[in-house]
Amino acid sequence: MSETEPIFILGGYQTDFARNWTKEGKHISAMFNEVVTGALQATQIPPEDVEVGHVGNFAAELYTMQGHLGAFLVETHPSFSGLPTGRHEAACASGSIALLAASSEIEARRYDLAMVVGVEQMKSVDSARGGDFLGTAAWYEKEAKGVSFPFPKLFGRLGDEYDKRYGLKDEHLARISAINYENARKNPLAQTRSWYMSEEHAQRTDRFNTLIGGRIKITDCSQVTDGAICVFLASKRYAEKYAKKHNMDINSIPQIQGWGHHTAPLGFDDKVAESKDNPYVLPHTRQAILDAFRRAKVADVWGIDAIETHDCFTTSEYMAIDHFGLTPPGKSWQAIEEGIIDLDGQLPINPSGGLIGTGHPVGGTGVRQLLDAYKQVTNTAGGYQVGGAKKVATLNIGGSGTTSVSFVVGAGN
Amino acid sequence: MGAATSASLEINRVVVLGANGAMGAGSAAMFASAGCEVDLVARDLPKVEGAMKASQGIAKSEHITSSMSARTYGEGYGAFLPGADLIFEAVAEEMSLKRRIFAEVDAHRPEDAIVATVSSGLSIREMAEGCSDGFKKHFLGIHLYNPPHVMSGVELIPHPDMDPALVNELAEMMTNRFGRAVVICKDLPAFAGNRIGFKVLNEVAQLAETHGVQLMDTIVGPYTGRAMPPLATIDLVGWDVHKAIVDNVDANIQDEAPGAFKMPAYMSKALEAGHMGDKTPLMGGFFKRSTVDGKAIVQALDPATGNYIDMDRGLTVPFVEQVKELYHEGRYQQGMDSFMSAQDPLADIARKVVLGYASYALHRVGEVVEEYADADRIMTAGFNWAPPSGLVDYIGVDRAIAQMERYGIPVPALLHAAKKGEVRTPLFNLPFLTPGRYFAG
Repeated sequence: MSETEPIFILGGYQTDFARNWTKEGKHISAMFNEVVTGALQATQIPPEDVEVGHVGNFAAELYTMQGHLGAFLVETHPSFSGLPTGRHEAACASGSIALLAASSEIEARRYDLAMVVGVEQMKSVDSARGGDFLGTAAWYEKEAKGVSFPFPKLFGRLGDEYDKRYGLKDEHLARISAINYENARKNPLAQTRSWYMSEEHAQRTDRFNTLIGGRIKITDCSQVTDGAICVFLASKRYAEKYAKKHNMDINSIPQIQGWGHHTAPLGFDDKVAESKDNPYVLPHTRQAILDAFRRAKVADVWGIDAIETHDCFTTSEYMAIDHFGLTPPGKSWQAIEEGIIDLDGQLPINPSGGLIGTGHPVGGTGVRQLLDAYKQVTNTAGGYQVGGAKKVATLNIGGSGTTSVSFVVGAGN
Repeated sequence: MGAATSASLEINRVVVLGANGAMGAGSAAMFASAGCEVDLVARDLPKVEGAMKASQGIAKSEHITSSMSARTYGEGYGAFLPGADLIFEAVAEEMSLKRRIFAEVDAHRPEDAIVATVSSGLSIREMAEGCSDGFKKHFLGIHLYNPPHVMSGVELIPHPDMDPALVNELAEMMTNRFGRAVVICKDLPAFAGNRIGFKVLNEVAQLAETHGVQLMDTIVGPYTGRAMPPLATIDLVGWDVHKAIVDNVDANIQDEAPGAFKMPAYMSKALEAGHMGDKTPLMGGFFKRSTVDGKAIVQALDPATGNYIDMDRGLTVPFVEQVKELYHEGRYQQGMDSFMSAQDPLADIARKVVLGYASYALHRVGEVVEEYADADRIMTAGFNWAPPSGLVDYIGVDRAIAQMERYGIPVPALLHAAKKGEVRTPLFNLPFLTPGRYFAG
C-alpha cells in the first residue's frame, strides 16, 4: 500500500461543557460562533486559509429544530462566505465521521486545511424528551418507541451480556464511574468538575442514585451536555507552512496516525446474536481499534500512552477495556482492580473525565476526544496531563455499539 | 499565589457552627465532598439533621453524610472543638453574636486550628477584638457565595495578624482541593463582590423610583451581562440582607461614588412594613406573585405609591431586543456595538449603569483587591455577572473612556494605562472563561 498523505492536527478549542446555552438564551449558531472564534484564536490560523468545513452533529433537527448545520460555519466569519461545508451524522459517532470525511479529503489532496466542528445543544428539552430523541440512535421503532430512557436499558443489556458470558460485578462499574469523575475534577472544561462523587456513592443505590435501565444507575451514565468543539486538520503542505510561520518543528505537530471505522447491525439483539461465538462481545468495535493500530503501526495497546474512550455508560468503558486489549476478553475487571486505567496508572483511560465526567454532547464527542488526544501529545492538557504521552488512542461509538471509529494520535516520527 | 507548596496545612476535620442556615448545609457539603470529616453544630439535633438532609440534596447523595456528625451547642465547645483543623462559623450576621461565639472558640480551639467566619461583609478585625493573639493569627473570613455548589467564588479576608504564608496556603487549598475561585480581600465593608455588586443593585433600585421597577429590570436585564435582572436579584437575596449590606458600606466607606449605597426611601418604608422579597411571598418585594382566578400573576411594586401594579406584558424596548437578538446568535461584539450606539434615552440609563459597574469594580483594585483579575474572578464566580475587564474589552478602551467621561463616571486608572499601551489588551485574562457567556440572548 502506498503511503497516504499524513493528516496533521493544528489544535482547536472546546466550549465549557458545564454551560447551559438555552438558559443563556442562545441559539445553536452562538455555539458555532464561539467555538470557531475560539479555535481561530487558539491556533492563530488566518480564517482565509480554511478551505473546507465539516460538522458532526446528531440531532439538531430534534433538539433545536434546526438542520443544514454546515451552513452555520459560513456564518462564523465574513471570510468563510463561499466555503464548501457539510454535516455528518452517525449518532454519538457523528464527530468522528466528520473527522474521517475531512481527513479523507486531505488525503485525496482536494484541500490542505479543514475545519471540523462537533456540536450538540441538548439542554433545550427535558430529560424524558431528550431520552426519546436519543432513542433514534437505535432502531427507534423496534427498540425505543414508547420506552422511557431506551439507551440506559440497551447498555444495561451490554453489561448483562458480559455477565452471562464472563461474569460482571457492579463494583467494577462503580470504579469506572468514580475514576471518570475524579479525572474530570482536574479538567476545567468538564461538566461535572464541581459535582460530588465517590466510589461509595457510585456503588450505592439510593434516592438520588436510582436505577434507570436494568443495572444502570445514574452514576453509570454520561451527561446531557451542551457542547461544541473545533479542530483544524491539515495536509503536510499546510502544516509545513504553519510550522515555519510559528517557528515550530513540524515533527512536534501531532498527526492522525491511524484510523479504524466499522458499522455493526443496528439492533442490539442482532449484534449479540452475531457475536455469540466470538470472544469479543462487539467484534466490529474490536476491528475498528485493530485497524487504527495497524494503520498507525502500533503493535498492540501497550504502544499507546493513554486512551480517550466512549463511556456513554460504564458498561461501554468496561467493554472498551478488553476490546482495546488491556486484558483478555471478559477480564476488564483486572485492569480496573490493578489501577492500570487510573490517571497515574500504566495506561490511563479518559484522563479528561470521558463522557461520564467531561460530558457528552452527542455529535461533538468524537471531536472532543481528538482534541483531548491532541492536548495530551502536545503536553498541554494541564491538570489531567498524562506524563510523557506520545500516542493516544480514541474510541467513539454510535448507537448500541453500532458505528465504531478509532483514531491513533501521535506526535513525532 | 506563591508556587511553593508547604505540607504544614492540613484540613481533615471541619466543625461548622450554625449548621442549620443555608450556608451551613452548603459549606458542610462542600467540605465533605472534598473528603473532610464534618461536625455540624446547631442548637438542637432536629436542626442539624435538617441541615444534613439538605446537604444530601445539594450533593445528590445520601452517602455524603456518612462523614458528617450531628452535634449541639449543649455539648459544650470543649466537646466538639478538639481535633478540629478548621472551625467554620456560619451563624446569623450579627456582630455581637459572632463575638460571643468566638470568645468560646478562643477558649477551646486546638492551637493550630484555623478559625473562619462566612460573614458577607462585617469587619474581621472587629470580630476578633478581645480574642487571644493565637486566635487572631489563625482567624480569617472565608466568604462563600450562595449556594456554594453553584457559585464557586470565595473571598478570603485574613485578619491583619495572620501570616501571609498561611493565607497563601489556604488560598491554594481552596482553589485546588475545594474547587473555589479565590480572591484575597482587604478587611473593608462588604469586601469586594458585595461592595461592587450591591452598588449596582442599589443604583438600579434608586433609578426605579423614577423609571419604574419593570422598566429598570428590562433595560438592565440579563443582556447587560448577568444571569438575573437586578431588582429580581434583590428579591432573591432578601431586602433585609440588602439593607444590611448597603447600610454598612454607606456608614463606613467614602469613595468615588458618594450616595451610591443610600437605600431609597420607598424601600425603607416597604421593608418596615414587612416586604422582604421572595422570603415574604405574601408581602412581595419588587415583584409579587399571586394567584387570581386560578391563574398565576406577577405584579410589580410601584415605588411612588407602594402598591403592586400589573406588569405591562407588551413591554419591549427596541434597542434591548436588537442587542438580545445579536447575543442570541453569539455575536457579542456586534451586540455590544449596538448597545453602545443605541439612540434612546433609556439606553443612556442602561449604559450609565453598566459603565458605572465597570468603573466601580476597577476602582477597587489597590483598595480591596490586588489586581483587576480579582474583580473579574469574584463578579463571575460570585455573582454570575460579566467580568468588568471583559466588558471593557467588548466596549473598547477608547469608547469606554469616552462614554465614562460623557456620563461623568470616574475613569479607572487601568483604562488610562491600557490606552497608553502600558497594559496588555484584551484585558480579560482568566483562563477557560469566555465573557460572552454572561451576555444573555
